[in-house]
Parts: sequence; C-alpha cells; structure tokens
Amino acid sequence: MVVLAASVLSKSGKVLVSRQFVDMTRIRIEGLLAAFPKLVGTGKQHTYVETENVRYVYQPIEALYLLLVTNKQSNILEDLETLRLLSKLVPEYCYSLDEDGTCKTAFELIFAFDEVICLGHKENVTVAQVKQYCEMESHEEKLHKLVLQSKINETKDVMKRKASEIDKSKIDKNRGDKGGFMSMGSGRIETSFNDMSISSSGSGSGLGITTDVDSFSTKPKGRQPSSATAPPKGLGMQLGKSQKTNQFLESLKAEGELIVEDVQPRAGQSRVVAPAATDPVTLTAEEKLNVTLKRDGGISSFDVQGTLSLQILNQEDAHIQVQIETGGNPGILFKTHPNMSKELFSNENILGLKDPNRPFPTGPAGDAAGVGLLKWRMQSADESMVPLTINCWPSVSGNETYVSIEYEASSMFDLRNVVISVPLPALREAPNVNQVDGEWRFDPRNSVLEWSIVLIDDSNRSGSMEFVVPPADSSAFFPISVRFSATSLYSDLKVVNIIPLKGGGAPPKFSQRTNLITENYELKPWQETWGRENTPRLLAEARALIMKTKAVTRITPTANALIRKKALFSGQNVGIFFVRIGSETPRAPANKIDAMATSLYSKSLVLLLAS
Amino acid sequence: MEKSCTLLIHFDKGTPAIANEIKEALEGNDVAAKIDAMKKAIMLLLNGETLPQLFITIVRYVLPSEDHTVQKLLLLYLEIIEKTDTKGRVLPEMILICQNLRNNLQHPNEYIRGVTLRFLCRLNETEIIEPLIPSVLQNLEHRHQFIRRNAILAVMSIYKLPQGEQLLVDAPDMIEKVLSTEQDPSAKRNAFLMLFTCAQDRAINYLLTHVDRVSDWGELLQMVVLELIRKVCRTNRAEKGKYIKIIISLLNAPSTAVIYECASTLVSLSSAPTAIRAAANTYCQLLLSQSDNNVKLIVLDRLNELKSSHRDIMVDLIMDVLRSLSSPNLDIRRKTLDIVLELITPRNINEVVLMLKKEVVKTQSGELEKNGEYRQMLIQAIHSCAIKFPEVASTVVHLLMDFLGDSNVASAIDVVVFVREIIETNPKLRVSIITRLLDTFYQIRAARVCSCALWIIGEYCLSLSEVESGIATIKQCLGELPFYSVSEEGEGTDASKKTPQANSITVSSRRPAILADGTYATQSAASETAFSAPTVVQGSLASGNLRSLLLTGDFFLGAVVACTLTKLVLRLQEVQPSKVEVNKATTQALLIIVSMLQLGQSSVLPHPIDNDSNDRIVLCIRLLCNTGDDIRKIWLQSCRQSFVKMLSEKQLRETEELKAKAQVSHAQPDDLIDFYHLKSRKGMSQLELEDEVQDDLKRATGEFVNDTDDANKLNRILQLTGFSDPVYAEAYVTVHHYDIVLDITVINRTKETLQNLCLELATMGDLKLVERPQNYTLAPESSKQIKANIKVSSTETGVIFGNIVYETSNVHERTVVVLNDIHIDIMDYISPAVCTDAAFRTMWAEFEWENKVAVNTVIQDEKEFLEHIIKSTNMKCLTPVSALDDECGFLAANLYAKSVFGEDALVNLSVEKQADGKLSGYIRIRSKTQGIALSLGDKITLKQKGGN
Repeated sequence: MVVLAASVLSKSGKVLVSRQFVDMTRIRIEGLLAAFPKLVGTGKQHTYVETENVRYVYQPIEALYLLLVTNKQSNILEDLETLRLLSKLVPEYCYSLDEDGTCKTAFELIFAFDEVICLGHKENVTVAQVKQYCEMESHEEKLHKLVLQSKINETKDVMKRKASEIDKSKIDKNRGDKGGFMSMGSGRIETSFNDMSISSSGSGSGLGITTDVDSFSTKPKGRQPSSATAPPKGLGMQLGKSQKTNQFLESLKAEGELIVEDVQPRAGQSRVVAPAATDPVTLTAEEKLNVTLKRDGGISSFDVQGTLSLQILNQEDAHIQVQIETGGNPGILFKTHPNMSKELFSNENILGLKDPNRPFPTGPAGDAAGVGLLKWRMQSADESMVPLTINCWPSVSGNETYVSIEYEASSMFDLRNVVISVPLPALREAPNVNQVDGEWRFDPRNSVLEWSIVLIDDSNRSGSMEFVVPPADSSAFFPISVRFSATSLYSDLKVVNIIPLKGGGAPPKFSQRTNLITENYELKPWQETWGRENTPRLLAEARALIMKTKAVTRITPTANALIRKKALFSGQNVGIFFVRIGSETPRAPANKIDAMATSLYSKSLVLLLAS
Repeated sequence: MEKSCTLLIHFDKGTPAIANEIKEALEGNDVAAKIDAMKKAIMLLLNGETLPQLFITIVRYVLPSEDHTVQKLLLLYLEIIEKTDTKGRVLPEMILICQNLRNNLQHPNEYIRGVTLRFLCRLNETEIIEPLIPSVLQNLEHRHQFIRRNAILAVMSIYKLPQGEQLLVDAPDMIEKVLSTEQDPSAKRNAFLMLFTCAQDRAINYLLTHVDRVSDWGELLQMVVLELIRKVCRTNRAEKGKYIKIIISLLNAPSTAVIYECASTLVSLSSAPTAIRAAANTYCQLLLSQSDNNVKLIVLDRLNELKSSHRDIMVDLIMDVLRSLSSPNLDIRRKTLDIVLELITPRNINEVVLMLKKEVVKTQSGELEKNGEYRQMLIQAIHSCAIKFPEVASTVVHLLMDFLGDSNVASAIDVVVFVREIIETNPKLRVSIITRLLDTFYQIRAARVCSCALWIIGEYCLSLSEVESGIATIKQCLGELPFYSVSEEGEGTDASKKTPQANSITVSSRRPAILADGTYATQSAASETAFSAPTVVQGSLASGNLRSLLLTGDFFLGAVVACTLTKLVLRLQEVQPSKVEVNKATTQALLIIVSMLQLGQSSVLPHPIDNDSNDRIVLCIRLLCNTGDDIRKIWLQSCRQSFVKMLSEKQLRETEELKAKAQVSHAQPDDLIDFYHLKSRKGMSQLELEDEVQDDLKRATGEFVNDTDDANKLNRILQLTGFSDPVYAEAYVTVHHYDIVLDITVINRTKETLQNLCLELATMGDLKLVERPQNYTLAPESSKQIKANIKVSSTETGVIFGNIVYETSNVHERTVVVLNDIHIDIMDYISPAVCTDAAFRTMWAEFEWENKVAVNTVIQDEKEFLEHIIKSTNMKCLTPVSALDDECGFLAANLYAKSVFGEDALVNLSVEKQADGKLSGYIRIRSKTQGIALSLGDKITLKQKGGN
C-alpha cells in the first residue's frame, strides 16, 4: 500500500515533475520513469502497466501523463482513488496542461502532491482541503500577528509616554536644580536675584507662589539662559528646594499628570550634606556602601568607599593639619590625596600638606563638599559585615502570591530612613499588605512597593512585612533595592584634633560629621547582571569556572550553531556562556538568540567558544 | 549506499541560471524574486550542481524570510542538499538550520508547522533532529489535526532512525496516548501506523481492545489494521484465529479498497477452503461491481493467482468469473477466458460452453468494432474446450462452422483449424461435419480458409456420395470452364476488365511471407486484401468463390484445388464400382486442372503461374493419367498420417509444457534452501526479511538486487589503457536493467602525484551519463575506484568513450590519456521470449527494419549452426524441435527475443547445405527500431564464424 512516486510526464516521455515518497536512488526512479513510455501501449482500455517489480498506474491528461508508481502488491482501488484526486489537482495548479505549464508550476505541484501522499500513504483529503493546505492561510498566524502588532503598538505607546515623561522630568529637574541653585546661599553674583525671588516666594502668600509657578511653567524658555550659565549642582540642594519641588509636583498633579512623590531618600541624603557649614572648619567623613546580595543568602559583592573631606570657611584658618584616629580595621586601605604628606600620615596619623607653607583651599573656591583629604576602601565577603540583610519569600498559593519580606540588621549600626523597594509585577491596584513593621507605600507608575522604616535600632533589629499580589513569577520581585543612612562608619575614623601651623593660636573650632549612605544596595536574584561593561570580567570568570569545574562535557549542536551564527553575523569570534548556580536554571542572557539557547540547553553549565 | 532522490523536475538547459544572479536575488528583499531564485537554485541542485557557496547566503537571507512559499522552498532545498561529508558525518554548518526549523515548528501558522514536520520525516541526520525533538513532541498535542498527523509521522520516522530509540525513548507510550484520544481519521491512522512499525505489541493490544469497533473505523485505519494482521500472522502463525474474525467483519466494509485488501489478507493468512472461498467471492463481487477496467484486470490477476494455488475452490466460481465477459474490454475478456479455460472440469464444461456459445451468438448481432476479435477469442476458447472434452465438440462444431465464411479471416481460420482437428479426433462427427462443410463451402471467402477446407474435403470424403458431392461442390464453386479463353471475346473483355482491379490489389499488397516451417514463400497476400476490400470480383456469386479467388491470381489455391480433385478422384476409383463414372470424373478433373494451367500461362493475369504451383498442378495431371499404387498410398494415406502425427505431437508438446509448468511451481528435491539468515540483507532487520510485502517494496525501489553470479564478474573486466601509460585504468561493467555501472579502477603508475585527475566519459547511442565527473588527486602509485552511472533508454549498441585528464606539479598543461572504447552489448538487454506463430507472423509483416545477413560460417551442420546462433544471440527458437529433426540438407527456423524495454527482436534463419558441404543462406533480423536490427546483425556477423 505504498506509492513510490507521483510523476507528471509529457506524452513524449519527458519527466516533468516527479515526487518520490520512499527512499530510492535517482538512477532507479529515472530508469522506472524512462521505461514507462515504452510500456504504455496504445489502444488499451486500461491505465495500468505492470512490470516485474513495479506497477504504473497512470492517467492521460491532455498532453501529459499523470503517473503513480507503486509496488505490485499495492491496493489498486486505493491507488486509483489517489490518482483520481491528483488528476483533479493537476489542472488546478497548472496554467496549461502541457510541458510548459507543468514546468512553470512544478513546485506548486510538488507541494500539492505532498499534501495528498504522506510517506507513501494516502491522506484523507479532498481537493478543497489540499488547496487550503497549500494556501497556508492561518487564522492563528493572523491572530498572532495582530497580537504582535498590538504589542508593538503598546510598546510604542509606552515609549512615547516614557519619552514625554523623561522630557517632563527633565524640565522638572531643571526647575528643581534651579530651585536648589537659587536657594543655595553661596556667594555667587546671580544668586542675589534668585535669593530675592525665593525669599519672596517663601514669605509671600499662596497667591504669590502660584504666580511664581505659573511664570516658571509658562515661560521656561525665558529662564533658560540663566540656568545655562549656572551648571546644575546636585548636591547643592537646600531646604527651600523640597518645598519648591513639592509645589511643582502638586501643580503637575493638578494638571493631571500622575507623579509619585519619592522624596524620602533624597531628603535623607540631602540632610547629610545639608547642614550649613557654620563652623570655620568642617570635616566630613562619608562612606558609600555598594552591596549586592544574593537572593538565597550570601554576598555577591560588598564594597565600602569612604572619603574624608575638609571644608574651611576662612582663609586665615587654612594653615592647619588634621590629626585623625582610625578604628584599626585591617581590611581598610587608606589613600591620601597626592598633595598630602604620606610620611606624616603613616607615622603620626596626621594629615597635612607636603608643603607646610601652603594653606588648604578654602570654602568658596573649593568644592562645596570640601577638599578630599583621604580615601579608603573596604571589600569583604564576610556576611556579618552586611548592615542589613533582607529575605524575600514569594510563595504562590491558589490564585495569589504571598510575599513575605523580612529584614535583619546587624547591631553595628543604627540605620535611619531605611527604604526597601520591592518591584512588583504590573498591578492595577496597590497590593494587599497584610502586615508591616513600619510604613509602606505603593508607586503604581514604577510598580514598586516601598517599605520604609524611619529608624532601625536595637528596638527593632528585625522586622517583616507580608503582602499579597496576583500570581506572579517569583523573579518578578527582584531586584530589591535598599536605601538607608547611618552615622557610624566602618572605618571608625575620627578627627582627634586640628593642629594650627601658623599663628600658634588655639586651634580653630571644628565640627566633624560622619555619614554612611547607600549608593547601591541590592538584593538580586542571580549573581551577575549581564551587561556589556561586564563582559570582559564575566568572560574571565567563566574561563575560571571552566578551569575549575570542567563542567562542559560537550558543546551541544544548537549551542554550536548559535555560536557560529553569532560569529557569522558579527564577523568575530564570540562566546556564549551560561552560568548556572546551585539548582537554578541559567540566567537568561540579554538577547533573544541567547535566550533561545538557554532554554534549549539548560543542561550545559558553561559554554564557551572564545578565540 | 547511494543518496536517495526525492524530487525530479524537468530542467531546461537553455536558460541556465548563474549562481551569482541567484545569490543577488536571494539577498534582495523582493519576495517574488526570492521565490524564483530558490526555485532556480533547487533546479540547479537537481541538475547535479553543488553550489556550496549558496548555503551561507540562504542561511543569512532566506532563513529569516516570513513568506510561506519561501519557507516551503527552503525545506525542499534542505531536503536535497548534501548534508553529510564523504565520511558520513553531518557537515558542521548544518546545525545552523536547526534554529530555523525549530522556529518553524513553533510557528503560529499551522501549515508551516505541518510541512516542517513532514520535512523531518525525510531527514536522516540525527544531529540535526535531536535538538528539535522537544518541539516535535509539543506538536503532538496541537489542536490542529493537520499538525498532529504530521507530527505523528515525524515521530515515527525519527523513531525509525538508527538511534531513534534513544532519541525518543517513550515515543510508543506517547503515541499510544495520542491514539487513544485522537479523533481525526488521518492522524489516527498515522498513530496506528507508528505503533505498527515501531511497537507492534502495542498496536496489537490496541487493536484487540477495540476489536468491536474496528468496523466503524475510518477506511485508512482499516487498511493499516489489515496490514498489521498480515504481518503479525506471518511472524506468528498460531495467532491467526484471533484476527480472522476482524477480517470477516471488515469484509462488509463500505469501502471497496478495504474489501479488496481483506480478500488479499484472507488469502495470505489461510488456505482453509472457507477463507479462500470468501476471498474469491469477494473478488468476484468486486469484479462485477467495479466499472474500472484497471480494477477488473488486477482482480482477475488475483483470481488467477488463486486459481493456481486453490484450483478446486475456484472451479466452483467459474460461472461468476465468466460473468465478467460482459465487459466490452478485450483484455478483460481475454484474461477471463484464460482463467476459465484452466478451470473447466467435466462437471461444468457444459455450462461453460453454453455460455460461450451464447456469447458467440451475441457477437453476430452486435455492431461493436471489436466483435471480430472477440469472436476469434471465443472460438479459440471453445476450440480448447472441445479438445479437452471431445464430447462437447458435437454441440459446438456446427455452430462454429457458421463462421467459416466470416469476414474476419483470423476467426475463420481458427474455425477451420478447429474443424480440421475435430474431424480427425472425433470420428463420430466426421460425416456430419463433412456434409455441413460441403453445404457451407460456397460461403468461404478467404483463400487460406479455402485451402484448409479443401484439404479437409480431400481427406475426409470417404463414402461414394461424399466424394461425389465433394467433386460437385468444387466444380460448382469453380464455375464454368474455361477460366479464360482468347477466342471468346465476351470473356476476354470480362477478364480484361477484371485485371486492372486484381492487378492493383495484388501489387499493392505483395509481401514476402514465411511458411509454417519458416521457409520463405513468395506469396501474394491478395486473398486477404480481397476480403478486406468487400468488392468481390464481379460475377462471383454466380460463378462461385473459388473462381474469383483463382482469377485474382492465387495459384497456390489453384494447386490445392488440383490436389483435392486428384485425391477425390483417386478415392472415387476405390469406392465407385462403375468405371465409366470414374473416368468421367477423371476427365472432368483433368479439364479443370488444365484450364487452371492455361489461366496461369495467359497474359490476362499480371503474374504468370509460379513454378511451385505449376509443378504441383502438373504432378496432379500425371497422377490422374497414370496412377501407381505407391503414389496412391502416399496421397491417400501418408498425408493423413502426417497430420495425425502433427496433432499428436501438438498434444504431446502441450502435455509436456503442462508437466514442465507443474514442475516449475514446486520445489525440486535438490533445490537450494534459502536461509533468511544467510541472505544478503543490507541493513534490514530479520522481520523485514521475512516480510514479503517489504520485499515487494524493496524490489520496487530497487534496493533488492538479485545477486548475480560473482564468477561472471571477472569476465567482464575491460582494460582501458595500456600497461605503460602513466595511468592504468580498467573497468568492470555491470549492466542492470536501465543502467550501466562502470567500476573503474585507476592506478597511478608514476612516482608523481597526479592532480585534478578527471575521468571524462562521453557516450554514443541511447546512453546518458548520470553524474558529472569529479576531480581526484592521486598519490604516487596509489589507486582509486571511480564509479560512473550510465542510463540506458533503449536496446542499442552503445559505445562509451573516455579520457583521463590530469595535471602534475611540474608540467602545467593537462595531460590526456585516451581510453579504449567500452562497447555495451545488446545481449545484456534481450532475453529469450515466446510468442505464438501467428503473432510472430504479424510482427514480421509489420516491422519496418530488416537486416539481412548472409550466412558465412565454417560450421558444416545446419543444426549445429542454429544452436550456435541461438546461443550467441540469446534468443529462443520458436520452431518446434520436431520440425528440425530430419536430415534434409536445409533448415529454417524462427527465433524470438524481447528486450528489457519491451521491444521485440525477430530472427529468421534459412540455411541450405551446398554440394560442397558448406552452408549458405540468410539470416534476417526484423525489429521495430533500427537499433536492434543493426546491433543484432552486427552481433550475428561477428559471432557466426563459429569461433567465439
């Protein structure tokens, strides 16, 4: 019951199209087809020919023969049925039933034949069905395309919205900056004017404020030049600023723009820098914390960077040296400013200029934050060094996902203004918070849940929160970012004294501030982020991993194909590697091809084809 | 193993596509141009180009295309490209396509998925398939049936791959699950097919659990069920019982294809009379119900097979089979009669003959064009019935004798031959037949029928009254004497009027003919033409048929008339007591004979009487004038005896043939036993080897080649270059049916590396080179086997020429070594065949090409020479051995052969021994095509010397 081949021949015996459905060599099929015209007699009233090995069942169609080659035990009734179907199909696809017409539509015929006979077996189809199959009109594809198109449109909309948002926030920022700048009470020439306006707005009635706002919003261009002359200074925000921005935001809100106030951390930050230098000498020690925590515990990176800066208000107080005291933490490496005398520092822990006759730069000329004297850095893999650990447990139950988050703070620090931001899957409404230690708020635009605790001290070293959202993938809740500040430092750096070098008078009065802030404190699902800037490092790590683990037993064909494809398109040697940690599946790399390969080849730990 | 070919498309060489153009079009964005370029690329590939540079272009620019046609063409392209290197490993770049295939398998368009799955069925490379398996399996549960059915097939073909069982460990499980839920008939069939081929137990299990519903299943599925049953029962005969019931239930299926399949399954399963009867009944039913000639013929073939294996059962069905005579198709009728004739028994003979008689009568009334032929067939059938069962002869012979005057000469001859045989074998009927023959003699129109009837009259008119009425009948038919007289003006003008007519007829159709013994006779075919043209010579009704025939110049008939008269007169002398009456009759006969001679010598007829007839007629005159006992004995007895001898020999030959046939169908005691384990198998599993269906398929696809004699191989080695040439080459030629394979061994005899060595072949005649030659590099003193395939399309002597071209490192020009020609022998294509004497004669008359070769041999004995020719031309001698028996100094024989392409080759050999002991004569070869006549002639000229 097997059709070996379906063919169309011209009356003169030329093979125009032939489709074979079982394995046979070219010589064989050509031989069979070449023999056919000799075998088909004239004047016979039947349309089959049997030879020693095969049976030909044919049908003349105008100047053509439509021919099925079958084995001899094939079921003639079925073959005739097939032949009949094919003979109806041939005129459907051929322009004209002769050699030319057939040759031109050879491929269409082959496609049609394929629909009727599958691996030599007849399919249960009708002419209409075959035509439908060959046209390949698919509702599903149309649907898919529509969905795709709507997605694209949606994304475009989002893009537009984002773009306008960015524009707005730029304007917004300009204003904010301006506000900050204006309110800065430094001795610039232009500031006097601005100061006036601020003071007016500050002291004026509500009406005054609104007009002010109006003037800003309606004529931003008029003010542009002034802002251009004065480069914005992020750190120069002063008290009036928050008020100002709030006003803007309020007005924007009034205009219908949905804006989420997100001021707390900034307030915290600004508070650190904010206090005006009232003492003639101010020494600020600040540590910035860059921490990446892994989702399932452990530190991925931990980095503390500290600076000690000096701000001197008056020229006469500039000839000084600073005596400091460090906590003796061996993990911390100090580096002095190149102008500092290293000897002095290493021997006596005194910071002084190499040239004792030179004064330290003073306030207005120097940086607003003062002059950097000392930098230090600390890295660690010790989990106990982490001031605040967070544990997030999303668990799906029924139609909901319960997420419980808990924090635990180490006793080293008292943390202030702690804000834990948890990204949520896109939600229409605020999540349902069952329980919280502290406060929470939901930012629907960015879809972030913020959990804030004003102060973490010994009374609340640990806390938790639980909320419920519609079902979502657990990875949607990451990365969780944390902000906080503290007043004690890892380095325990203290300024003991200020030694005046000139005048021999009493050392000028000095104030000392210490501040620990978070720069980047995240809890991430995976170890690394994939980014272009990371690539060399990742490569190195991957190599190291390969050296260590020998995890790759083979490069699977698809991965190999992928690598080749990449190489083909980029013209360079490329590598793809997937890092697998623990029982997790590999993190999906950035682009689509890699994503495909990842899902296909989760087996492979690391794949690498470099150079 | 040679690559399989899935696709052939006629390629017009007139418009060659340049690879660069294709590449450009492929790189462009125009979809129509892309489609066109893909088509061209595929055509080029099919035409033997390799286009390796195109692959990357296609990967880069065609793979991402969204157009459906482009994707389908891409699949075709992937189907035909070489995916492995020379060592059978998958080319590394092939994995580039995996991604695309995978995307296609997840394409939202169900048809793209479907065609991709179908493409996977044709893919053999595990490395490519492996990463796609998850996607394939996903498609098993797609809601669109088009995808599901193809997915199942894809799973099946993947599972059938050599490592398939590792790739898809749980495929049978999955498919079984699919099968249980599937609704689409095609998908269901495919799933069952998959289980059937991959996990037969599960298929059986499924079948047995759903045994009650089998009859409700779709036609396609039922077919596979039957196939499964056949296979299971072949391997495990004991389980037949379980399945017979299913088959019986399927016998009532609405689909005729299923019914047909059921019948053949039944036959293959069981030889129990009930089963066979059921199968035969089903066939008969199909035979009557189906209107398609093809079906009828094939069903008749099946019945024929049944007849040879289960004759006793078929005998009962003879009347059912006979009913298919109602079909107007001659082939069907012929086949039916063939079957029926072998089934007749004493019990049913009467019924059969009655039916045949009815059919014969029907042919008289109908106006159908094929009636004549059909009647001839029927007459032959009745003839053989009557010979087998002489008792029926009496019932038919009279009926048949009505057809002696039939305008269809062939059937009239058949009738007269039949009558001749019956009158000898059935003495009881003799008197009535003779009376009847004499009564109807005047109706006979054909000269050959006449002469035969005259012979019968001459031999079998025994009694006085018979002899007398015999002479009277002949006289009456000859009409008034003389035939021609110069003095009588009226007749003279009459005759001269007739001549031009007769003249034109005879001249136009004058042909050489061969007599039954193979000798050449210059016979005028006017008799036949005269009948085909109904304008019988005027006055024929009045003057009788013999006269008109004689007046056309048929003197052979004249001689027969003369002989018959002589015989009758001689017999009259024995039975007639009255001398006067005898003398009267003698003189009258003499008068007739003499007038015939006179007519022969007259100038009225275009041809004077030929010497042969003249001699015979003169002999008759002498005999009548002067009778001796010896002569009388010869004339009155020996003739009859030799006829009896001929009949008995014919019968002997028939029985011998029957015996031979019977012996062939059974195994000889010393036959070889085929152990399947020892059979050449080429990667087939044992089960497949035992599977005759598979064998059938294998044979059809050409995978199963009958092992030829290995010893003969070495005879066929041809040296192509000299021993002192830098390259030595020899070829071993294998001739299959439609192709010639040259295995050429090339040896580098130098101490240098030969680069770009290329075997260029060119052909003459109907040969075509299949592949274009490749370049090789040959290390010093190393050798290389090169295979070249050549296609043959007709039986002609072909010549293959060739060169070997190569470069060496120090000489930059290409060096050419010319090879010996390879002659392809016609003997490889023709095989001995048999045809009837009549068919031989018609072909001999029809065929246009004749090659006449004069005999020139050292062989002295005629028979030895004949045997030599038979042996060297591989033909069959049609002339019976008895006809060649005696030593008479001359020999004539007909040889016949058929080529694999279905062409006929006819040879007539006529030799005579000269006085000096040498043989002389001619060998004539006739065929429809020039090729055979020429090459066979060459062959004979070459071989007839008697040496090698």
